[in-house]
Amino acid sequence: MKGNGHIKRTLLGYFAFCVAILIVPIFISDAYLLNKFARYLVFGLLSVALSLSWGYAGILNLGQAVSFGLGSYCMAMALKLRTIPIQTGAGGLPDFMVWNNVQTLPWFWEPFHSYAFALFAGIAVPVAVAFLIGWFIFRARVSGVYVAIITLAMLVVINLLIIDQQRFTGGFNGITDLTTFELFGVQFDAYSTALYYLAAIILSLTLLLGFAFVNSKTGLILQAIRDDETRVWYFGYDVANYQNFIFCVSAAVAGVAGMLYTLVMEFASPTFLAVPISLSIVIWCAVGGRASLVGAALGAIVVTGVQGSLSDTQAFLDTWMLIMGALFIVIVLFLPNGLVSMLELIWRKKRPLQGSASARLVASRASRAGQATGHRAVSSR
Amino acid sequence: MIDIVSQISVGLSIASILLLIALGLAIIYGTMGVINLAHGEFVMLGAYAVWFLQTYLGIGLFAGLILVFVLIGLVGWVVEWSLIRRLYDRPLDTILATWGVGVILQQGVRLAAGAELRYVKMPDALVNPVAFMGYDESAYRIFIFVVAVALLFVTYILVFRTEFGLQLRAITQNRDIARCFGVNAKRIYSLTFAYGAGLAGLAGALVSPLKSVSPDMGTNYVVDAFLVVVAGGVQSLLGTVASSYLIGQASGVLAFLSDDTMAKAIVFLSVVVLIRLFPQGLFAMRVRRS
Repeated sequence: MKGNGHIKRTLLGYFAFCVAILIVPIFISDAYLLNKFARYLVFGLLSVALSLSWGYAGILNLGQAVSFGLGSYCMAMALKLRTIPIQTGAGGLPDFMVWNNVQTLPWFWEPFHSYAFALFAGIAVPVAVAFLIGWFIFRARVSGVYVAIITLAMLVVINLLIIDQQRFTGGFNGITDLTTFELFGVQFDAYSTALYYLAAIILSLTLLLGFAFVNSKTGLILQAIRDDETRVWYFGYDVANYQNFIFCVSAAVAGVAGMLYTLVMEFASPTFLAVPISLSIVIWCAVGGRASLVGAALGAIVVTGVQGSLSDTQAFLDTWMLIMGALFIVIVLFLPNGLVSMLELIWRKKRPLQGSASARLVASRASRAGQATGHRAVSSR
Repeated sequence: MIDIVSQISVGLSIASILLLIALGLAIIYGTMGVINLAHGEFVMLGAYAVWFLQTYLGIGLFAGLILVFVLIGLVGWVVEWSLIRRLYDRPLDTILATWGVGVILQQGVRLAAGAELRYVKMPDALVNPVAFMGYDESAYRIFIFVVAVALLFVTYILVFRTEFGLQLRAITQNRDIARCFGVNAKRIYSLTFAYGAGLAGLAGALVSPLKSVSPDMGTNYVVDAFLVVVAGGVQSLLGTVASSYLIGQASGVLAFLSDDTMAKAIVFLSVVVLIRLFPQGLFAMRVRRS
């Protein structure tokens, strides 16, 4: 965001990253490893989703896993209905419903016979939920802390409900024993190269489109909102609409990540929308660099990659979380913009900074409106 | 009429636990503006401290309470001293830092004490129910209620009737001016944070005989506590009390009508709606902050 040269340079970095993840299957043929890498890419996508809302609009969403989990369940429901043998009882019922004495398929399961609907729902359901929450909180000009608390509370509620409604959601066990996803004649088996490419292509597209978006006018206004919300209100922008918009976009991306995650893991579980994963997303984003899409993706891939390559034993995982907690605190204290900002620091030493674009945009709008100065927010501390 | 009385006492019992947990948070959030997501972990630490004292040192719940308060207060003091005071200019980042602290505490306890559920024995004197207005009430729940009210009273005295409280309120209104008058803001903040953490520890100690103790128990408490504080209005002790009472009663009634999960979901959603309608909380103090 510091002039054309900077954008070009950053874009080059984005392209390099996309090429790097796309050529991985050329060097790796081990199916198990490829599945692992696909999982990291999904986490990268999830991290990008949070970066969009947190890094670029200042909305700290502690419940990002809600969108992720809902997307994942939508995909799992469609795959479950195609499992053969799909039922142990009459009427094409998923097995866990039979165990729970459900007689007929619930109405909200019916449309999931169609893949097209499931793919649509995997994005539309998270977006609808996000829109409702967003409408509630942003219209009331609730910001900062309250957003964090409300999103966290929503995460807990939705997680509780999904576990509680065992008859329709599989409860604690989630939805398991899924068929293989097939689209346009291609089988996306969890351990296939096809699935890896699917994840890599979606992540690449999201990064490039996201980059174009955050540098568009809307993207700049969002960054201005992040930097000083009240000021942007004063300039006549409807801040709440912008915030809700990016909140929904972020939910859509997380929903796609959720759908992919079901394919990679071959099940959906309430742990996908529990607090630990939401916490992890925030950590990835913070470590990589919240205000950089590719940084956020890298943060997720590096953190989960290191975790996955070291060991998978429980004792190690516990220690690992301890290390992550400490790393997170250190990053928050000393490197608020993540590891990527170290790169930018190096660049900045070479070229002096010339005022950020978002500031210039707001300033030009201000002079047009005939307001020389914007008042600092009274309410912001 | 019988049902109403017992229903109210169930609600009061939930409300007193909520108040215990929310009180420490209300103090820290209301005066310092620090969002302490490690609050639930302080509660958890309190519960584990009692379990440890009881199992390994044979110190009962009553005798352990003061010790727990001091111990967890000390933990809070260390956290403030090493971390929070570096973030006073970035209140949003305190969410992240304290979340990190929460992760460390949770994992630390998991590694040290194991992930399995632990149980704390109720003091023998309070095991048997007592007759109260013709009903059998759990003596322990009455005890919790009394302690909650007592702690509220102590906190009130501390904030509104002591030199310390005066300085704290001065800093809350305007930190720079308060410092010009010679108030040592750092010291007051450290003590406040330690006091809030100590209260959380006490809350954990007191609920431990009622619920199983596990490393991840804090997550639910911190959400509960924040909803109570936010619904009541930050910076208002009265608001915290009132909203614990309302939320406690609502949870009790809804749990009676459906089940615990639905009750929790409905209460959470109602609080979110409430925040939408009254962003300042129900009992906001009209303090203008600069």
